[in-house]
Amino acid sequence: MRILSDIAAIMTGMWITWKHMFRRPVTVQYPEEKRQPYPRYRARIVLTRDPDGGERCVACQLCSAACPVDCITMQSAEGDNGRRFAEWFRINFSRCIFCGLCAEACPTLAIQMTPDFEICKRDVMDLIYEKEELLIDGCGKSPDYNFYRHAGIGVTQPRGTGVEEMPPVDVRGLMP
Amino acid sequence: MPKLIIDDIAVEVADGSTVLEAAQSVDIPIPHFCWHPALGKAGACRVCAVKMLEGPVKGIQMSCMLPAQEGMVVSTTDPEAVAMRRNVIEWLMINHPHDCPVCDEGGECQLQDFTIAGGHGIRRYTGKKRTHVNQYIGPDIEHEMNRCIQCYRCVRFYQEYAGGCDFGVMGSAGRVYYGRFQDGRLESPFSGNLVDICPTGVFTDKRARFRARYWDYDMAPSICPHCSLGCNITPVARYRELLKIVARRNDPVNGWFICDRGRFANDEVNERQRPRSPEVDGRETTYDEALEALLLRVGEAEELYGPGSMAIVGSSRLALEAAALLPQLAQSSAAGALCYFTLQAEGDRTLAAYELLSAGKSASLNDVRESDCIVILDCDPLQDAPMMALALRQAWRSGAGVYLVGGGIELPCEFTRVATLDAVPLAEAKRSVIIYGTKGYNGVTTVASWLTGIAPNFTKGGLPGNLKLACLFPGPNSFAAALLSREHGAVSLEEALADGGIKGIIAVEADIPEQLLEGVRFVAVLDWRKTATVQAAQIVIPTTAWVEMDGTYINNEGRSQRFKKVMNPGVPVKGEGPPLHPPHIHRSVAPGGEARPAWQVVAGIIEGLGGERITEPLSGQWEYLRELDAESRGVMINDL
Repeated sequence: MRILSDIAAIMTGMWITWKHMFRRPVTVQYPEEKRQPYPRYRARIVLTRDPDGGERCVACQLCSAACPVDCITMQSAEGDNGRRFAEWFRINFSRCIFCGLCAEACPTLAIQMTPDFEICKRDVMDLIYEKEELLIDGCGKSPDYNFYRHAGIGVTQPRGTGVEEMPPVDVRGLMP
Repeated sequence: MPKLIIDDIAVEVADGSTVLEAAQSVDIPIPHFCWHPALGKAGACRVCAVKMLEGPVKGIQMSCMLPAQEGMVVSTTDPEAVAMRRNVIEWLMINHPHDCPVCDEGGECQLQDFTIAGGHGIRRYTGKKRTHVNQYIGPDIEHEMNRCIQCYRCVRFYQEYAGGCDFGVMGSAGRVYYGRFQDGRLESPFSGNLVDICPTGVFTDKRARFRARYWDYDMAPSICPHCSLGCNITPVARYRELLKIVARRNDPVNGWFICDRGRFANDEVNERQRPRSPEVDGRETTYDEALEALLLRVGEAEELYGPGSMAIVGSSRLALEAAALLPQLAQSSAAGALCYFTLQAEGDRTLAAYELLSAGKSASLNDVRESDCIVILDCDPLQDAPMMALALRQAWRSGAGVYLVGGGIELPCEFTRVATLDAVPLAEAKRSVIIYGTKGYNGVTTVASWLTGIAPNFTKGGLPGNLKLACLFPGPNSFAAALLSREHGAVSLEEALADGGIKGIIAVEADIPEQLLEGVRFVAVLDWRKTATVQAAQIVIPTTAWVEMDGTYINNEGRSQRFKKVMNPGVPVKGEGPPLHPPHIHRSVAPGGEARPAWQVVAGIIEGLGGERITEPLSGQWEYLRELDAESRGVMINDL
């Protein structure tokens, strides 16, 4: 009986629909209701500071080199104590694809991805974030790391006093 | 001519070549730090290990120290050799700081490349790193001794190649230190080459300190404009700013190196106040308006003072493209004078010096390096053309006699003072070179009269077979200026102004002394430098600097060399407001980016005056230079 099997099929579908009306929904009523993404979610990029409060970014240009859409631009400069820093640092979020390659490339753990995915502006030019908007007061995901302690060239501590360093050599010494 | 086999490839090399050179000749890369083509071998870094399978020596050998011999069978990929190289690199990295992100060499670092290529990635050594205290070695070079891998390249260049004695190697064992005895500026005029030859970041260019990375550089093959030798360089720019200048290899000319005058000379190009937009009577205007005003004033000058009242002035620093158009400009503006030199003395001397040179008889820098008898006559190579001094030091190192006629100058090698040219044993020499200058000296006339004495028809190829001449001209394109002057019967501006008939001047990249401009009513200047002439001019049309355009210079031996555009003209981004970052503005032309190459401006004036439209500056006798490759060795003008 063809007609019976057709009715059975319709009833099965209706039953499933009926059943789901009493289940908890998987969607949320965004924007009234918001979800907290996982900490490693890849969204808005920030520049972090080291545990001593200094800017972690040394403007080494590795993030801009790794960026597949060329949305990062910067100018490095030398600070008073020989510290290399970003004179200006710009991320064009209208172009960014949030792939996370910049954060992966960053040797000083300065550039990090945050779960803040709500980047939306009325003017596209407002999506160009400068260092003032990118830099946060905190260490982000790696609270202990300070690149200059390990770099081996001084800057945050006198030469030869960093981690894994011997005191400077006495060149004129005659000891073997 | 030993024949050997490297990685299953048969190679035949010249006697005295090393296994490393033999491998390089067939494009087999062998890592190396201490070996350098210009400095030779030291055997200090131990990283060029290869395995000798057959032949006079067997086992692991340093390819840079081993002369190539008949019957050698070499493997660069043998597991033993690969392991040796990997271990050596690991040793070299033991004390190397973890500072690549803040090192200017990062991205263009030989140590970085070979470490990655050698397969060393993870540090196994757990001991502490040796550190050093840096020195102040001058405003141009930064010293960072922690990065040193003890390859001895710097000290071999500085002391042996360049003859400097204020920099050397000190200490012993693991404390070896490369530096000066105490802080202070490096004295050698070739010190900048330490930046190029250091395989890692011990010496970096302070002017480009913390500015950009290799992969972001705007680079192109170029020619140094600071003297007449035409050394090959690679200018490096970023964000419309010339950051640094790096030597580029050209064996017949500068070899591997350049002098500090050519290297640390980016200020003029980056000068914010240099002519950036056209000006008429001190008022900024557009390019078209300035051209119109210029054409109007040229017409007025003709009406008021009659035809022939204009002078067209070129210079020794004007590229060939524009210089070759000036005769056409003079013709279409009915100019009374075409000048390539401002002062009579300078013009006369340069022309006379140019006359002495003939096909195959002008010495290249390589001829000087290979010569066995050098005479210096009334010129100061260290001041006028430092690379000439470096070249003659190389000749002296291989045993040449260096003779100085007269005195009063210093040279980076030992030399004999003689009173006259006759006192030099030129007849016994196999390859001799006479070096003379044109800058306020009487060398040209001395050489000319001496040559007439020994070989009356020397200008027509009658110069004795073993003798070559090298002249130090005042500017990068003096040779072309002299050649064009001779061809078009140009006079110097001083002579042209003498009878008072000239009332207007169009100066194309020319420096005209103030006193010459006194009786002149109208001055139009095409230039990129802020010269006194630009300040005195009524109409200023900015041109592009040499790094901002393609062009050709003919150097002191008559070698035409092409330089390519490195960057777009415009005010450097650095220092442009707002203070925190560059502005968020879309622009099709950068601020101050309207400058055009001088030849295009000249072509525009010619067209405005009713001449033909010029799209290709090199035509007629220069047509063969159109396809000149900037990376070639250049083309000798005398080959015509």
